[in-house]
Amino acid sequence: MPEPIIETVALRKTYGDVDALRGLTLQVQAGSICGFLGRNGAGKTTTLKILLGMMRPTSGEARVFGRRADDSTASVEIRRDVAFVGEDKPLFDYMTVSEMVRFTAAFYPRWRRDLERHYLGIFGLSPAVKVKTLSRGMRTGLAVLLALCRDARLLILDEPTSGLDPAVSEQVLQALVSHVASAEMTVFFSSHHIAEVEQIADRVVMIDRGRATVAAALDDLREQYRRIRFVFDDDAPAAPVFRAEGVERVSRDGRVLTVLASGGAERIVEEARPLGPVSIDVIPVSLKEIFLESSGVEG
Amino acid sequence: MDTSFLRPNPSSGVPIYLQLIEQVKHAIETGALRAGEQLPGIRPLAERLVINPNTVAKAYRELEHEGVIELRHGAGAFVSADRRPRQLTNTMRAGQAIVAATVERLRARGLGEDEIRRLFEAQLAGLPRKGERSA
Amino acid sequence: MLWYKAWLETRWRFLIGLAVLLVFACGAVFDYPAIARLNASVSAIDAPGNLGRLIREAAETQRTYRGFIWFQWYRQNLVQMWTILAVLLGSGGLLAASSRAALFALSMPASRTRVAGVRAATALMELLVLALVPSLLIPLLSPAVGQHYGLGDTAVHSASLFLAGSVFFSLAFLLSAVFDDFWRPMLITCAVALSQTLVGALVGLPFSGMLRVMSAESYFRSGQVPWVGLGLALTVGLLMLYAAVAVVERRDF
Repeated sequence: MPEPIIETVALRKTYGDVDALRGLTLQVQAGSICGFLGRNGAGKTTTLKILLGMMRPTSGEARVFGRRADDSTASVEIRRDVAFVGEDKPLFDYMTVSEMVRFTAAFYPRWRRDLERHYLGIFGLSPAVKVKTLSRGMRTGLAVLLALCRDARLLILDEPTSGLDPAVSEQVLQALVSHVASAEMTVFFSSHHIAEVEQIADRVVMIDRGRATVAAALDDLREQYRRIRFVFDDDAPAAPVFRAEGVERVSRDGRVLTVLASGGAERIVEEARPLGPVSIDVIPVSLKEIFLESSGVEG
Repeated sequence: MDTSFLRPNPSSGVPIYLQLIEQVKHAIETGALRAGEQLPGIRPLAERLVINPNTVAKAYRELEHEGVIELRHGAGAFVSADRRPRQLTNTMRAGQAIVAATVERLRARGLGEDEIRRLFEAQLAGLPRKGERSA
Repeated sequence: MLWYKAWLETRWRFLIGLAVLLVFACGAVFDYPAIARLNASVSAIDAPGNLGRLIREAAETQRTYRGFIWFQWYRQNLVQMWTILAVLLGSGGLLAASSRAALFALSMPASRTRVAGVRAATALMELLVLALVPSLLIPLLSPAVGQHYGLGDTAVHSASLFLAGSVFFSLAFLLSAVFDDFWRPMLITCAVALSQTLVGALVGLPFSGMLRVMSAESYFRSGQVPWVGLGLALTVGLLMLYAAVAVVERRDF
């Protein structure tokens, strides 16, 4: 299997008495758009900052393009091929749009002038305007432009569409989608917007309290996760133990037994038939429910 | 044809690539796409619908596997002139008739729309998927 | 482009500081005739104690034009304003008064050492200009009031101010690498600067520390360039810059 573009192994990060990351292990393959889902404080931003060399891990490994992200020299090399858009859309407020473009272009010899013109138009950015006067949408647009025009192999974004109206949001997503032109480009973005992850990501990594909980192709999640509801004539049997794999949670409510399965729904149904349910419903599970389940929120 | 693709619903529980496959097949059945006609390119379609290009690619590969379309290297995707898709269309028409009859019978028994849908879902969830390949 | 960015970050502090200093330099020269007249009567005042001694010494020093310029400009106006500018230019360091900007710079393929180094170098060059250029106005304008001021003196005093005073820049720069806000580095450095210069002057101690070195008092009085003091200040300043870069390299952002 080709080397992952991003890889972390048992990554730990502690600041003071806060354990932001507690052994995070994940991989992101080249050519995918991978969504990074997690609650606030789960460790998403910390992970991204470590990958970019802005923070050093307490222990464990983080690699980008196979190189160690915590090594200062390697990190500079990594950043030659990475574009980062941070949560607050970091930019130099005192510069104008064109100064920001010139500044960034100076660091990236493969700068795409064609994309620059294209995105200046799409996001309605005029060159002489100072960054600090830009609206939120235009600021994000500029940050996205600066990221995409670098012709970088990897895009890392932290909540790219937060605070944006649906129209600009869609423009940002469209820009990301068109960036993945060949197997060479990869996008790794953290988000709260489950719908947009469902829309453009083909893989998903979920993080909860500093650890990865789910890492799978989105289509696999859609096809594998099922909620199975068994209705009985009398009280449902008390939490039966299923031998079949994939049982995530079993709950009982009067005459209804509900099983949340991350796979193998058919085998679970077969195993439960002898219990004599009156009806069996197999229902797909939304990504939102999978996320809530994996972050310990009672569904 | 580019503009008549509908945006897939990412939250519907049906994988986006399956929704696209359905759209293409439906387009062929209704004549919006004819044998030999070219489908939109993977990247332009992904950009248009704002979905992952890999998803479009997966849908196209699946359609090719079923013989519905042909992927000509360097040229693009074209609707097959094969007899097989025609068979598939006929089978679909027959299937539609069966489903219509079944739904009517279930409604005659007093079942509502949601209940009928759940019965079908449960039945399908129990079946292994035909011709599925791991991505 | 890092140089351009550093320039954009510091330019207003630099330009406004330069404008103010230029005005004060003119002021110093053109004030001379009035001050000279005042001086004549001041030496006759008989005030008691330390304060009296200070006043008499001040009057004595300012009897000559060279003494006047040294006292007013190199020991007072220039030192005070320049030191404030050194602290202002040193505060904000890599963070440029906003961590948003810092994250962008850090996401560029440039080492932190380079980014911080360019920032420090730009500010130091600006400080050199701020020490020298307004001072050059004095030999230029002195003939207008019928006086003469040597270029050699200008060079020595400006250089001493820059070399010794840059230690305050370095301190502010180091503190901004450690603290995230703009105010703490500035206030702490100002406090240190004040204690080193003002305290000595007020108490009238023979050793007023930094102020004597920055104003090259020994050179003014007896032609002795304060090499030891300058060397010490430079060394301490460089060590602090080195420490600042080390902090920036290792810390989390």
